[in-house]
Amino acid sequence: LTSGRVFPLSCIHTSASLEKFGKWEKKNRIVYPPQLPGEPRRPAEIYHCRREIKYSKDKMWYLAKLIKGMSIDQALAQLEFSDKKGAKVIKEVLLEAQEMAVRKHNVEFKSNLHIAESLTGRGHYTKQIRYHGKGMFGIMKLSRCHYFVKLVEGPPPPPEPPKTGFDQAKEYVQQLRNRTITHSL
Amino acid sequence: MSHYEQREGKPPVKTSPKGFTTSPRYCCNKGRSPVTCLSPGPALAVQAPVVLPEAAEDAGESGEVPSFLESVLWMAAPKKRRSIEVNRCRRRDHRKLIKVKRNIDVCPECGHLKLKHALCGYCYAKVKAETQQIRREIQKKEGGPFKAPTVETVVLYDGEQPTEKDEGKRIIERARKRPSWFIQN
Repeated sequence: LTSGRVFPLSCIHTSASLEKFGKWEKKNRIVYPPQLPGEPRRPAEIYHCRREIKYSKDKMWYLAKLIKGMSIDQALAQLEFSDKKGAKVIKEVLLEAQEMAVRKHNVEFKSNLHIAESLTGRGHYTKQIRYHGKGMFGIMKLSRCHYFVKLVEGPPPPPEPPKTGFDQAKEYVQQLRNRTITHSL
Repeated sequence: MSHYEQREGKPPVKTSPKGFTTSPRYCCNKGRSPVTCLSPGPALAVQAPVVLPEAAEDAGESGEVPSFLESVLWMAAPKKRRSIEVNRCRRRDHRKLIKVKRNIDVCPECGHLKLKHALCGYCYAKVKAETQQIRREIQKKEGGPFKAPTVETVVLYDGEQPTEKDEGKRIIERARKRPSWFIQN
C-alpha cells in the first residue's frame, strides 16, 4: 500500500470565486501593534461582505441606507420587519458578522456593535431571454449585487442635527468673507 | 426676420394637433392669448380679418386625426439624457427612502421581536406546529374525509385523565408533555 495520497487536479481548484479575495475581505487581515497604556482605546472593526446576491444594487441601496449608523440590534429589528427581498440577505450577513466579531475579533458584547459603513456594489450581470407571445422575445437583464458592511465596537454615534438655514447662511457669509482680490498688494 | 417670413408667405409646416404653431409669433399678439396669427407679413393693426381664413384653413387641415405614422412623431420623448446627479436627486429623495419603523416590541412570551399590532411570529409558528400534530391525530382517528363526529373534541397529553366535564367528548391523545401555553380547562 502506497502511503502517498493522490489528489486529482479537479479537487485542488474547485471554485475560483472562493480563492479570489476582494479588497473588503482583505481589510479584516490588518493587525495593529499592541496599544500603549496611555492611548485611547481603538474600537474593534469588523469587515464583512456577501458577493453576487441576486438582487438589484439600487434596491439594495435603500436597505443599506436604512441601517447606516444604527446599532446592530436596531438594524436587525428593522430588517426583520422589512418586506424587501434584500432584507433577509442583509440580516444573515449582519448575524454572520456579529458571530465573527465575537469569535475572532475579540469583541466582548455582541450588542455593543454599530454599523459604521454599509455599501452596495454591482455584481456580474447576465442576460436571459424572456418569451413573449407571437414568437417575440425580450432580453432580460439579471442583475446581481454585493453587500459590504463594517461593524465597529461601541454605541452608535449620535445623529447629526439637521443643518438649519442659519448655519447655511453663516457658511455663505463666511465664504464671501474669504474672498480675496487676486494680484493685489 | 423670423424664419416664417423667409418662407415666402407659406404657413409653417409644423402644426400641433390643436392647430397652434410650435413657436408662437408675437408680431400681432401683444400679450393676448397664444393663438398665433399665421400671416407671414409684418404686424397689422387689425388682427382678425387677415387671420381668420388662414387660421380656419389651418385648423381644418390639422383638425383631422393624424395618421399613425404622423402621430409617432409627436410621442413624448425625453429631450436630454438625465444626468446621474439629477437621477440621484430623484431616487434618494426623502419620500423614497425606507422609513424607520417605530412599532417594534418584544414578545413577553418568547422574547422575540414582534410588531405591536401583530402576533409574534415565533409563538404563532409553535402553535401552528402543535396544531398540525393534533390534526394528524384527528385524521388518524377519523380515517377519512367527512367523518367528523358531532361531539366536541378534547386534547389530552401524557399522563392526563379525562375529567367529568369531558364526558361526551371525543378524546385525542398526544404523546408528549402538555405545552405551557396550552392551558387545560
